[in-house]
Amino acid sequence: MVFTFILVPLVLASLMPLIGKISKRFLPDALTNITLLFLLIYSITIGRQIISSGTGIRQFVWFGQQMNITLALDGFSLLMLFLIALVSFAVGLYSINYMEHYGSKAIYYALFLLMITGMNGLVLATDLFSIYIFLEVAAVASYALVAYGLGQDELEASFKYLMLSAVATAFILISIAIIFGFTDSLRLHDVALGFQLLNSKYLVGFCTALFIFGFGLKAAIVPFHAWLPDAHPSAPAPISAMLSGVLIKVSGIYAMTRIFINVFGLSSAVSSVLMYLGVISILVGAIIAFSQNDIKRMLAYSSISQIGYIILGIGLGTPLGILGGLFHLFNHAIFKSLLFLNSGAIEQATGTRALDKMGGLAKRMPITAATSAVGSLSIAGVPPLNGFWSKLIIIIALVQAKSYGFAVIAVLASVITLWYYLVIQRRAFFGKLNETWKDIKEAPFWMSFSTILLALICIAIGVLFPLIIKSWLAPATNVLSAGVNYTINLFRF
Amino acid sequence: MIQILLLIALVGFSILAVLLRDLLKAAISLAIASIFLAIIFFRMNASYAGVFEISVVAGLITVLFISTIALTKSDEDVRESKVVSILFPIFFILFIIIDIIVMKTLINRLTTIKYPSPTGSFGQVLWGQRTLDLVGQIGVIFAGVFAVIALFRKRDKNDK
Repeated sequence: MVFTFILVPLVLASLMPLIGKISKRFLPDALTNITLLFLLIYSITIGRQIISSGTGIRQFVWFGQQMNITLALDGFSLLMLFLIALVSFAVGLYSINYMEHYGSKAIYYALFLLMITGMNGLVLATDLFSIYIFLEVAAVASYALVAYGLGQDELEASFKYLMLSAVATAFILISIAIIFGFTDSLRLHDVALGFQLLNSKYLVGFCTALFIFGFGLKAAIVPFHAWLPDAHPSAPAPISAMLSGVLIKVSGIYAMTRIFINVFGLSSAVSSVLMYLGVISILVGAIIAFSQNDIKRMLAYSSISQIGYIILGIGLGTPLGILGGLFHLFNHAIFKSLLFLNSGAIEQATGTRALDKMGGLAKRMPITAATSAVGSLSIAGVPPLNGFWSKLIIIIALVQAKSYGFAVIAVLASVITLWYYLVIQRRAFFGKLNETWKDIKEAPFWMSFSTILLALICIAIGVLFPLIIKSWLAPATNVLSAGVNYTINLFRF
Repeated sequence: MIQILLLIALVGFSILAVLLRDLLKAAISLAIASIFLAIIFFRMNASYAGVFEISVVAGLITVLFISTIALTKSDEDVRESKVVSILFPIFFILFIIIDIIVMKTLINRLTTIKYPSPTGSFGQVLWGQRTLDLVGQIGVIFAGVFAVIALFRKRDKNDK
């Protein structure tokens, strides 16, 4: 039952404060991680069903006669569900050790599970207003999680994030209201059909512009990125990993892609706007990341740059471009979570995020150094790791579409990425050990375990990439390649 | 004509809510703005929306705002940048112009599609057709409550 993805984390979240009264640490840790593992396994088993049958699952959940919940699961939403489950499982394990000194673990897990509920609901919804509601569930939980440390920086970052997100959701809501006014429905199927009947480029253009403002802010595409470099570094490391790893992709890219490609139909004008926004994000993110001294801030700017690659690939709109974009989305979720978790391990051991104060940490933290090297090389696109293949597919797609300028910029930015990630590795982990850190220890068991898990996944995807493409990415690409017809033919409920 | 006057009053009080420095006056302006919005809802036959707007936004939220303002002390005047009071009217007028042009173009050029409207009472529509939104609403309420608990929690002595 697909509704499980929404119901299980929601119910556990609501019970978490009570569970916290019974046991402060053990039960919240154990129950959350068992649930996250269950969701991960469930997404894989239900995925096999979809992949083997080749179609999506439509789900009507009835409680008695009154209630009616309609959800849809297809290749694209499955990919996102799997990604949310995978990253949140790694983050859940990491939180067992990392969140010890923040206190009130039960409330932390409750908010964390609500964020997952929001993202899962958004991915499964078949109605524009439901998408908006679940977007808010994930967003409200994430405002509180960003400020969880209660320091001045955290509260300020959270407030900035809240204000800019409110602007984003206002734009999204205005667009939904206009769509409802013209098509008299909020269901994706009816809206897609209505837009075809109306056949108005003015209406599509205006709604697209509002959605680009709204979802662009959520996805932190340049020039709507101002909140991200504050919010992501200020949050506790596991939450930074969730925000950069999955939240900006689900609430920004997934929603935008689903609506633009499967509901509105990607016109050449929108395609060019997305590609230009993508390429500007790649360059601005990479150049600013280069000059950062705070490791988490640098990773945050790097997220903006990598989101640019995803938008560039998907915006291109060809099947190969979409495949590359989705593959990079998948890979980025894994290696960026890994890198944020590693930065948390360093911050916890040394108490600083400033790169110029680190040095030689590999001698004291070999696991963190090794997994961080895997993550850095992956994100920089070094073969045979996973980031190489996704960037290569995007670049080949750009060359095939004769967008040579974009391809050249993508390659150059990739070189800049490699450069600044090598600089991090050298400044943080190699060289002479700074005397101040001679007594520090490697990260505790669960923190190391989750980073090793993610690093192994990076390597495995790099080696087994044809298998991943065939089993997880091709069904998602097929959904998007079918465009508006997919929604009109298959979302008819 | 009355509709236009009501809309102007709604926008006027909303602007006051943003521009007034005194928080109490700003909260009251917001409440008055939402009363005008509720009247517009009633006039457009959206009585349920009107009732919610009056009871929740004009009533409950204003009470919460005013009690919070009454509980806080103002230590010193926070100086806001003057740029805001210069830029806000410019952006606002620009927004109104774009809004008028775009909406006129859209409304004049397009006919709207009519689907058979959902049958049944308000309750039946809400429970029978928007059930998923209610589940989402439960999520938002929980997130809000837990956010308040998290942000106002007392840190243990052995915390960081």
